[in-house]
This record gives sequence, structure tokens and C-alpha cells, in this order.
Amino acid sequence: MSAQPVPPSAAVSGPEPLLDLDEIQGNILAGFSKDYQTLVALKIRDLKAARRWLERILPEINSTAEVLKFNELFRMRRKRLGCDPKGLIATWANIAFSRAGLALLTSAEEADALPDEAFRVGLNDARAAGLGDPVVRGGNDPTKDWVVGGTNRPVDILLIVASDHPRELAAVVKRLRPNAKAGDVKGAPRVVWREDGATRSDLPGHEHFGFKDGVSQPGVRGLRSRQPEIFLTPRLLEPAAAGEVEFSAPGQPLVWPGQFILGYPATDGSSDSGGGPLDPDKDLPDLAKNGSFLVFRRLRQDVAGFRAFLDEQARLVSENPSFPGMTPERLGPLIVGRWPSGAPVARTPTSDLEALAEDDLSNNDFLFTTDTPAPALLPMVPHPQGPFAVAREDSAGFVCPHAAHIRKVNPRDQDSDKGDQFDTLTRRIIRRGIPYGVPLPKSATDDKVDRGLHFLCYQASIVNQFELLQQDWANSTENPKPGGHDLIIGQTGQPSPAGARVLRLINSTGSQAVTSTRQYVIPTGGGYFFAPSLTVLRKLAGLS
Amino acid sequence: MKIDHFDPPAFNDDLDDDAELKALWSQAMSTKFDVSVHSVQNHLSSHGGGICQFYNPVTAGLSGPDLPLSSGDVPWSGFPKRFLRSGPHGTPGFSDAEPTSLPPDTGRPQDEYLEWHVSRNSDGKIISVEFTCEGYDYYEFLAQNAPAKLVALYQEFIDPSVQREELFSAGTYNRFNRWNIQDGAMHLTNGANNLFAEVFLGASATVRRKNSTGAEITATIPLIKCGQYGDETRNSDPAIGAAVNGLARQGRMITLANPVGLYIASFDGSGFRLPDGSAADGFFQILRGKPGQALRAVYRLPQNLAEAGLTVSDVKISGAPIEFGGQIAQRITMKLTGVASLDQSVHNLPVGCGAVQQVNGAAAQALVAGAIAPVRPPTRNAAK
Repeated sequence: MSAQPVPPSAAVSGPEPLLDLDEIQGNILAGFSKDYQTLVALKIRDLKAARRWLERILPEINSTAEVLKFNELFRMRRKRLGCDPKGLIATWANIAFSRAGLALLTSAEEADALPDEAFRVGLNDARAAGLGDPVVRGGNDPTKDWVVGGTNRPVDILLIVASDHPRELAAVVKRLRPNAKAGDVKGAPRVVWREDGATRSDLPGHEHFGFKDGVSQPGVRGLRSRQPEIFLTPRLLEPAAAGEVEFSAPGQPLVWPGQFILGYPATDGSSDSGGGPLDPDKDLPDLAKNGSFLVFRRLRQDVAGFRAFLDEQARLVSENPSFPGMTPERLGPLIVGRWPSGAPVARTPTSDLEALAEDDLSNNDFLFTTDTPAPALLPMVPHPQGPFAVAREDSAGFVCPHAAHIRKVNPRDQDSDKGDQFDTLTRRIIRRGIPYGVPLPKSATDDKVDRGLHFLCYQASIVNQFELLQQDWANSTENPKPGGHDLIIGQTGQPSPAGARVLRLINSTGSQAVTSTRQYVIPTGGGYFFAPSLTVLRKLAGLS
Repeated sequence: MKIDHFDPPAFNDDLDDDAELKALWSQAMSTKFDVSVHSVQNHLSSHGGGICQFYNPVTAGLSGPDLPLSSGDVPWSGFPKRFLRSGPHGTPGFSDAEPTSLPPDTGRPQDEYLEWHVSRNSDGKIISVEFTCEGYDYYEFLAQNAPAKLVALYQEFIDPSVQREELFSAGTYNRFNRWNIQDGAMHLTNGANNLFAEVFLGASATVRRKNSTGAEITATIPLIKCGQYGDETRNSDPAIGAAVNGLARQGRMITLANPVGLYIASFDGSGFRLPDGSAADGFFQILRGKPGQALRAVYRLPQNLAEAGLTVSDVKISGAPIEFGGQIAQRITMKLTGVASLDQSVHNLPVGCGAVQQVNGAAAQALVAGAIAPVRPPTRNAAK
């Protein structure tokens, strides 16, 4: 959870829709934000038994309203206590269905009426190949060896259970998973895979390579209540001038909810409309409304390999007179775009700055094509911002390389091959990932332990959001701006070492390729799902 | 950047056996630059002055160091933005982007400096999709100065049976001839898809702009609306203009990399699969130019697969069958390369809105509006 105290909402008016928070599942807009999370993948065996199980667990599936209220209470208590409130815990559950699962519970026609080709096809071997997932040598199927999903381990249902406490989490998972003692009948869905994830105890909020994750999320427009008018995303800034991107907080652009929840106004990729809103699709089936598409990717991280790669490449780069003294500690942040603390390279180019990383009003406040102006904070917003240097114009990518991970997947104010900054808003996703596996100690050699990230993201279109980010940008040497591959998640579709990836460092005196002959983030499972509204869930369970 | 001549696009060898013709092409390009520079200079002069930040690297080359070349690369998607539908679930209008017939004497609606021609068999299955990004002004230059070469290119890339008279009407090269529209795509046909447009856009976009309140405009679409240097509904023009203007705001001098061209930078075939699941990403071949700087390319199956009865329509992209050439165009990234000085000492004041007008003057007008290129004196055998 955010460490920065913020006011609940500023009174900025706007024609924003009232969100049906009792209908929308809680992890999408509110976010569980828990330290412990278990994923359970299930296969439907018998339709009647599946409906009965679904009916049993329905009351345990949490809404956005519930999660928001808890998050608010947690924040209030922490503000007064100055630390996390012990004993104030919650355990949440959400559920999502693959196309196959949904077709079983409704019909093929109804499942295929959901407006996303990627969902309809599913994350199968062909779709994974489109994402550039590496094929196993001698084969064509990148999903062949996946531990969950893909060709050999198809999934109908994905259950997400999260808690502040591991014991509570285990108890709820046990309660929710199909079991005869709880009254489930023979033929209830079968658990085909389950795995625990947890924030790193040594570095909370960091992924296994050691970098702070999830710093930048879009600000979702929409109201929690009309009277009084309360925005889902608190507004900390003065409204933007006409024609400019509007931000809820420094570095957090506002995006219309239809980019994440079906049935709401969406962001227009054209600057003529100031980013929207676009009217919701009138032809959306009821099944779609208040639902969201969920992408799950189980990404194994080769931490030892990544560290060795940084050591080797830093040595090579340092031999180039344009990049003297390059170290692994400096090269890693150039590849990521942030320092391990989460401080952006754009604001602190030569060294990490913990205080900047901890300041939520500053750690995401940077543009790429112009000197970043001071944020116009509303008068009631506390402003503990330290004397941090602003991000300077860096159109050329001298400070933060164009292929740095955070610049690849969110070019901010810089044009992409697809359009300008308003188009980029339509590509944003809401990320809800969490690490799995134990961390590899800093000085340790490769222990061959499976560790990585349960990447989860929500969006209104898998094709135009997640897939575009992965395929068109992360995997490309040219897009959104030329500069090489995203060396964190970019892929070539080739097994190592054939699929070499390159990131180009440049400055005013020269350039240098950073070459990776292996992938250090390897997909090992996943699927495309749909997280329906609570009303639709009741229908899927056979209730009126 | 300082060079002594302009080369043909992608350093093609069309003119290699004729030094005079090569010089003539360089002169043609140089004229495009000169007209553009003079037009911008006039515009600045009539708006309070300033130094034109666009220059001709042949006649007014700069010997100082430049930014690394890749920092001037501007990419854009080859599939026309005008055929994308808005909204999170907007699917591209593939059939609109490649109409089966066009009105007489009109170019294709594909306006991102990439056009394509789809060949189908009698069953309507796609046999091949050919892509071109060559400006029509280069071919008009060939038509005027080396018509035999022009015909030879058509015969090599479109059909061996092409005859010279089929390419000309009343002695003038007809870019809408059947071999460039119905039966192939030798070069770009859309009215805006030419090299002079590229140079003029680059030059015009160096003019810094301000809005009615006096604030400098930096955002992409407001810039192109204010400077009127291109079509705001495209991927390409706004992106090129914004990138150039950004360099100009940094005080740099700007030109275009030699050889000037709008190139196919890359093709992404990930997820292209044959019915047996094997990869089909290797069937995109560059026919003219080179990787990263391609002028012409084709997507078609190798002979053994074609003989086995397979067509491009049997290929699926991430599970979706190929029904239109535009599905492949969507996977093509186009590129223009600008060159900007390391020096940042030019600090023009932004000016109000309005297009840079092309300079008057009979000679310039004749060169640009007409042939866009000088014509070899008739004393030589132009048709050799």
C-alpha cells in the first residue's frame, strides 16, 4: 500500500460516470494490495457440480466497494499510527474464466460475443507465439512445458485469493477450493494448479531482480458517489488546461474507466477530444458489463543469470570511452528505467535516491520530451516533497534509454509509432502482480530455485492493451521509439541463444549496444480470462 | 552533416551506370531541399525573423558533429490510422483500406508512405502481398530521364510483359497506370506519398509555434494543426513533425539522412503460422533496399508450399487467418531518419499558426509542382 498520506478526494467536478462498485470485482480497480496471494487454476468437469460450487463460494467473491472500504480504513489507521496497523487484516477472493470455461457455463456464442479476439482464441500456442514466447528447441509450441495453461494444461477458472496473513490465506483457500466437506458434490471443478505468491520479506514491493515494482499505475476516472461527489481516484492536482493530459497525481494520468471495465466511457486516443470520453459500446452483451479482461502470465526469473549478464555487459560497456566507469549497479537501472528503490532514472540519472523513491508525489513525476514542470498540487494536499531535481527533457534517450523497460511500456508524453500521448493512455493496463518463490540472496550463486512473478493485469482489450505492449513495443527494436528491445520482458520468439536482444545506450558522444543472448524472464504459464460482474457470477452459478 | 551529393533511395543501383543521371538525381533532391529551406526562411522573415533550422546538407552542409543517428529515427505503423476505429474494441477497417477497385486516376487510400497490392487466385485466396514505400516522384524522375530503366523496373518487379506505352499517357508518365494500380504496386500512388512532401514536411516542422496565448506549442497534434505541415489523421505526419519540432526547440540544425527516403524499417512476423503450426514469419522478403532500409517487400509462401496448395490465406496470425494485406501491413514499421546537430545554438522565437507557403518563383514552382526534378537536356538519348 502507498506510504504517502493523501486526502480522500479533492472536489474537482467533471462528467464522470458513477461506477457500480458493488458489481465490479475488487482486485480490478481497488486492488487487493496484499502481501500474500494464492492463485488456483481449475478445470470444470461437470457443469451442474461447477454451478453448485460457484454458488457456494459466491458470497466470498469480493466487490470493489468492499476492498475500497478496507483499504481506506487501513490507510486511516496507518496515518494515525505511523505504521501498518497490526491485526487489521482482510482476506479477499476474485474469480475469472477462460473462454473455454465461460463457454461451458454459458454457451460458445455468448462467450464469443465478448469483444476481444485474444480472449476468444485464448493464450494458446499460436497466441503465445505472437507474444514472442520462446519455443522449445525443435518444436513450435512455446506453451508445451508450461506448468499451467497453454496446450497441455488448459484452465477454465482462475481463482485469486489474497490476504494480509498467510494463515488466513491458507484457511480461505481451503474453504474456497472444491471439497466434499464443504458440501461440494462429486464432479466439482478440479484444481489443476495452485501456487502461492508473496511480497518479498527482505524487500517488500520489489520483484526478484531487486527493483521496486508497480510504482506507476493509471488513475481511473469515475465516481464512487455522486452526492457527495467522491472520485474513485483522489484528485491531488489542479485540472489540466484544455487539450492537455489530465493527471490525478503527479505522473498518474487519468484514464476513462472503459479502458478497464466494460460498459463505461473509454479514453479517446485522439487529442482533439482531450482524450475522451468515448461513449460505451451500445452492443455490449450483458455478460460483459462491469467485467474486465484479465491476463495472467507466470514469469520465471533467472536472477543469477540476470546478475551475471549485468556484470558482463557493464564490463563491455565500460570499455567504450563514451560510457566510462559503467557498473552493473548503474546498467541495471538503465535497462529498467528505475533504480532498485523505484526512484526514476529520469530524475536521478547517476545514483539511487531512496528519499525520492519514498515520496509518492515525486517518484512517478517525470516526462520525457520536455522539462517536467512542477506539479500544480491542490492547496489542501500536503506537500512533503523533498528538493529533488526535476526530470529534464530527454527526447533522445540519453538519460533514460528509449528501450528502458518503463519507457517501452509507457512512453508517457513521447509519441509512439501508434500516435501521441493520448493514444498511449489507451494502452495502459492495471497491474496486480506479485512475486512467487524465495528471493535469491545478493551474493548467492544460482540455486536453480523456481522464482518469478505472477503477472496479472486488467484491461478492456487484451489485443489493444496487453498484447500491444508486449508484442509491438517490448519485443520491437523500433517501437515505440528506436533503441532496441526491452531487455526485461522483450522476446524474440527464439530459444536462447539464437534470439539475441539488444538495447542501445546513447549519449552525445557515442552509442553502445547492450546485448543479451538469453532471456531472464521466461513465461512458464498463463492464460487469458474474463472477470465478470457479481450479477453475472450469480447467473453463471445458475441463480436468477 | 555535410555531403557532396544525394544518393537514390536506399542507395539503389538504378542509376549506377550513368554518372550524369546520378548527378541529376542529386540535383533534383537538392532542389527539393532548397525550395523547402527558402520557403521556411520566407515564412520566418514574414513572422519576425529567425534562422531556418532546416538545411541542405549538399549546398549548405554543416561540418560540426551530429547527434547519434538513431536519435533522429521516427517510426510509425504502416497500416493507415484513418482505418483504425476508436475505442478499446475498435478493430481495423481492413477492407476499407484496400478497396477492390479505385476511381480512375486516383491513388490508393493507404497514406502512411506504405502501399500494398494483394494478388489473389481464382478462389479469392491470397497468393502474395507486395509492399512499396517508394515515392512516385522518383519514378517520375526516371520517366523523364531514363524511361528504359523505368520500364525495366516494372518488368522486373511487376510483370515481364509490361510495355512502355502502358505506363505513359500522351507522353506523360501516368502513375495510375494499370501495372501500378490494378495489377501491381511499383511505387506509391497516394497524392501525399512523395519525397518532396517528406522534405517539405521536415523543413516546415522546424518552425517553432505558439498558440493564441503566446505559449509555445509542444504537443503533437496541436503542432501539426498549427503548422499545417501534414495530415493530422495519419500516424506518420504528426510523428515526424513533432520529432523534428522537438529537435528545433532544442536549438539544433536539422536535415534528413542521405539517402532521403521513407523506409520499411522492420516487419514483425511473430505469431505467423502455417496450418501445421510451423512458423510462417520467414516469408516476408525484401525485394529492393536492405533490412532497416527496405523499399519493396513481398509476403508470399515459398514455391514448395505453394505447389502443395497452400496460400497466404492459410497462414494465421496469432490464430486469426489472413484475409487482407492490411493484416500484414499492421506488422510493418516505417521509418524516416533525421539528422540533428549536436550544437544547440539556434534559438528562434515561436511564431503563430499558419502553413509555410512554398516559395514563389517560376523555377522552383516548375521543379516542385511539375516534374519535381530537373530534366536531362534532350540532346542526350534519355531512353537508352
